[in-house]
Amino acid sequence: METAVLIVVLIIVLALFFDFTNGFHDTANAMATPIATGALKPRVAVLLAAVLNLIGAFLSTEVSKTISHGIIREDQISPTAFLPLIFAGLIGAITWNMLTWLLGLPSSSSHALFGGLIGATLVGVGAMAIDFGEVLSKVVLPALIAPFTAGVIAFAATRLAYAITRRYDNKPDGRDGFRWGQIFTSSLVALAHGTNDAQKTMGVITLALIMAGWQDASQADPHTWVIFACAFTIALGTYVGGWRIIRTLGKGLTDVKPAQGFSAETSTAATILASSAFGFALSTTQVASGSVIGSGLGRRGSKVRWRTVGRIAIGWILTLPAAGAVGAFAALIVVWLGGWGIFIDAILAVAVVLGLFLRSRRDKVTAGNAMSEVADSGHAVKVKRNPPPTRRQRRIAREAARRRAEEEARSKAEAKAKAKAAARADAEERARADAKARAARAGKGGAK
Amino acid sequence: MIEINWLAFLQVFGAALVGALLVVGFYAIALRLLVRAGRVPVVAPAEFTDAITVVTEKEMKRAEKAAAKAAKKSPLTDGQKRLALVGAYASFGLCGLAVLGGLILIVVGH
Repeated sequence: METAVLIVVLIIVLALFFDFTNGFHDTANAMATPIATGALKPRVAVLLAAVLNLIGAFLSTEVSKTISHGIIREDQISPTAFLPLIFAGLIGAITWNMLTWLLGLPSSSSHALFGGLIGATLVGVGAMAIDFGEVLSKVVLPALIAPFTAGVIAFAATRLAYAITRRYDNKPDGRDGFRWGQIFTSSLVALAHGTNDAQKTMGVITLALIMAGWQDASQADPHTWVIFACAFTIALGTYVGGWRIIRTLGKGLTDVKPAQGFSAETSTAATILASSAFGFALSTTQVASGSVIGSGLGRRGSKVRWRTVGRIAIGWILTLPAAGAVGAFAALIVVWLGGWGIFIDAILAVAVVLGLFLRSRRDKVTAGNAMSEVADSGHAVKVKRNPPPTRRQRRIAREAARRRAEEEARSKAEAKAKAKAAARADAEERARADAKARAARAGKGGAK
Repeated sequence: MIEINWLAFLQVFGAALVGALLVVGFYAIALRLLVRAGRVPVVAPAEFTDAITVVTEKEMKRAEKAAAKAAKKSPLTDGQKRLALVGAYASFGLCGLAVLGGLILIVVGH
C-alpha cells in the first residue's frame, strides 16, 4: 500500500512537471504571432497567455475523460501492476520531449504523452489493455486530420479577410485594424490551449487515482483539486516560459501580416475549442502550425516549401512511436526488476528533469535556436513581397490601359485632323494668294 | 471491429469553419465600414522589437498621413459616415457575440 502511495505521489509530481513544461513550451504557439506583428507588448502577451491558460483549464473535461476512461481498459488491468506503468509512460514522454528539444526536432508534447502511456501499457500488460478504436478515433486520426483542417480553415479565413478589406483605388485599406483583433484571437488560442492541454495531465492523474482506488472508476470527471493543480501549473509554465520567449524573439520570425495572423489564430482557436468539446486530444503545436501554413497560402503569390513541410510532418509522425518506444523501455525496466525498476525509473526521471533544467540555464539563447515550431512552420510557405494582382485588379488595370490607349488614339487623331485642317487652310490661303496674284498680273496685261 | 465516429470529425470541421469565418468575416466588415466612415485604423505596433519585420516606424508615419488625407477626401455625407460607423460597431459586436456563443456552446455542452 505504501509503495502504491509513493508511486501515485511520484506520478502526480511527474505529471505536473510535464504540465509545467507543456505550458513553458507552448506560450510561443499562442503569442509568437501577436508579438511578431506588434499587436501586444511581449510582457503583456505572456501575462495574458498565462491567465487565459488558467481560465481555459476550467472550461471542459472531455479530453481528460478520453485519457482516464478511453484509451486504457482499466477493467483488464491489475491496479497495482499498472501504477508503475503510468509512471514509466510519463518518463517516456518527458524523455522524448527533452530529446527533441535538445536536438531541435519538431515534436508534440501531447503525442509524446500518449505514446509513452501506450508503449508502457503494451509492454507491461499487453495489447488487450488498450482500446485501439479509441486510440485511433480520439488520438491518431485527430492528429492527422486537425493540422490539415486548421490549414484549410485558415486559408479560407485569410482569403475572406483580404477580399473584404481590399481596395482598388490605392487608398488606405484599414488592415492595420487586424492588429487590435489579434489581441483577442491570440487570447482565444491561449484559452484553447489551456482547455485542451491542461486536461491531458488531469486525465493521467485521474487514471492514477482510479488505479490506486482513490477515485471511483464510474466517476468520469477529475477531482476539483486535480483541475486546480493542473490549471495553475500550466499557467505557471506559460508565464515562466514566456520570459524566455521575450529574450529570444529575434528577427527570424516569419513575415506575418496582421490580417494573416488574425485569421491563423482564429482558425487555431476554433479548431482546438471545437475538438476539445468532442474530447479529441490534439497537439496545439500541430494545429497552430497548420494554421500558419494555411494562412500563408491564403496570401496572393505564395508557394509551399514542401521540403520544410516534409521535415515538420516527419517529426510529428515520429513522435507517437518514438515516445512509445521510450515508454516501453522504461516499462521493461519495471517488468524485469520490479521495485528496483521503479527506483531506477525514478532516478532516470530525476536525471531527465535535472538535465532539462541545467540545459535550459546553460543554453545560450539566440534568435536561431529559440524560434518556436509554429513560427518555424511559417517558413514552409514563401510569400512574394509584391504579390501578383487579383483578377479584378487585372481587369481594372486592363480597363485603365484600354482607356489610356483610346485617349492617346483620340488625341493623335485630333492632332492629325488639326494638322490636316491647318494644311488645308494653308493650301487654301496659298491658292487664294496665287489667284490674287494671277488676277493682278492679268489686270496689268489688259491695261498695257 | 474498430468503430470510428466520422460524423464527429465532420461536426468539428463544420463548427470550426463556420465559427472562424463568422469571426473573421464580421471583423473584416467592421474594418471596411470604419474605413468608409473616414476613420481608417492605423495601429502602430505596441513595441518595435527586433521581431517585427512587417512595418517600420517610418512606414507607420506615412500610413497615418495617408489615412488622414483619405478621411478628408471622403465623398460621403456626414449622415452616411455616421451610418457606416454604427455598422462598424455593430459588426464588431457581432464578432464578439460569435466568440461568446462558441464558448457558451462548449461550456453548456460540457
